[in-house]
Amino acid sequence: MPEHEPEQELGPKVADAFQTKADSARGFRSEGMARIARRRVRRRRQTLITAAAAVVVAVSIGGVWGAIGAPSPVSTSAGDSKAAAEGSGPLSDSPRAPSQDSGMACPQSHPIETAPGPEAVPPGTGLDVQLPVYGLQACRYRISPGDPMLLGSASFNADTAQQVVDAIKVLPERNPDLPVFKCAPSARAKEAIVLRFDTSRGQQEIWVAYDGCASVGFFTGSRTFGLYAAPLKLFMKGTVRPTGGIYLDHLKGW
Amino acid sequence: MEAALAAAETGTEAGAPDFELFVTERVDALLRFAYVLTGDTSLAEDAVQDALTTACARWGRVSRADDPEAYVKRMVVNAHISWWRRFRRREAPAAEPTRTAPPSVDGAAARADAEAVWALCSTLPDKQRAAVVLRFYEELSYAEIAGLLHCAEATARSHVHRALASLKDTLSKEGAEDA
Repeated sequence: MPEHEPEQELGPKVADAFQTKADSARGFRSEGMARIARRRVRRRRQTLITAAAAVVVAVSIGGVWGAIGAPSPVSTSAGDSKAAAEGSGPLSDSPRAPSQDSGMACPQSHPIETAPGPEAVPPGTGLDVQLPVYGLQACRYRISPGDPMLLGSASFNADTAQQVVDAIKVLPERNPDLPVFKCAPSARAKEAIVLRFDTSRGQQEIWVAYDGCASVGFFTGSRTFGLYAAPLKLFMKGTVRPTGGIYLDHLKGW
Repeated sequence: MEAALAAAETGTEAGAPDFELFVTERVDALLRFAYVLTGDTSLAEDAVQDALTTACARWGRVSRADDPEAYVKRMVVNAHISWWRRFRRREAPAAEPTRTAPPSVDGAAARADAEAVWALCSTLPDKQRAAVVLRFYEELSYAEIAGLLHCAEATARSHVHRALASLKDTLSKEGAEDA
């Protein structure tokens, strides 16, 4: 059959080439793969358990809050009438008032330290860049395996927080001026920054990757923005300012 | 207790091969397969590590399969394809395979052909390359390849035939240049 001719003619050559290359392949790092796999599985399960526990706690708090604080939609008693007369009160569904500084410190430990990559923002925690923001904490973490820690933190007011978001959301997915590296597993990022924004939906995050080789830019979990200096220079201040990074070293003006 | 916890963690059952033992015995074959699939040592290691992580999490099911190695190879293919999707924007393949050494005259035409095949494969799209590797390295049927690549059998056949047509074209051009 004519359609099978190329396969009959070239198939043995291709098979031979693959076999030759497979047999001659050397220098694999095959040690410890089972151990690494087992450790990754354990971490994933810990992350899932933590996330599930957080959801349970949040739902519980929300349930208790709703039970003791929210006015009933149907007036059934004098108490309800009084609540209705007093208006919606502090638990109304209005947006949160802008605050200069949320006052909350960066957590000593953060999921970015154990995430498979800086792009792996957990579902539901990434910032919707169209939302207004009312404050920002920038948290810089060392994410080297086995030795993660909080390296620095800084808080910013609503104006700066909004400037950061505005500077990020207009960026393209990738900065073409940055070099492209051929990645090796050893070229993991040593550090990264978590931007924690106060929004009407609670705290939402953007993860910033500027080191390592695998991924670079601003990540919300659903969107990726290229690494540019304009947003970086707004929050890379004090202890949040790194001394360098594989990609930062090729970026000017940050 | 420790053993029971470890067994629960990986879903190992009595009589099933131990995960560590499986990795020790099969990791070389998996790495060679991944190397042929990806064309790069580092990418091969990454794909195998991802696949082994997935296999570890589901070891109870994987170890009960008729051929656990084939099962994990499927995971390697999936890991590679997903890896490629994540990184394809970062590394563009060369437009044409190029010969890096002059043709040998001492009966090494076969080696030159092998290099040309390898070079061509590095320029193929991810699924096309995976189809070729599964067809000629793993010797799978088109139906099996289609199942692995989540596509129709005709598509799998088309992937392989397009790659071969491209290879034939490249080899005939080089043959004309050498003449």
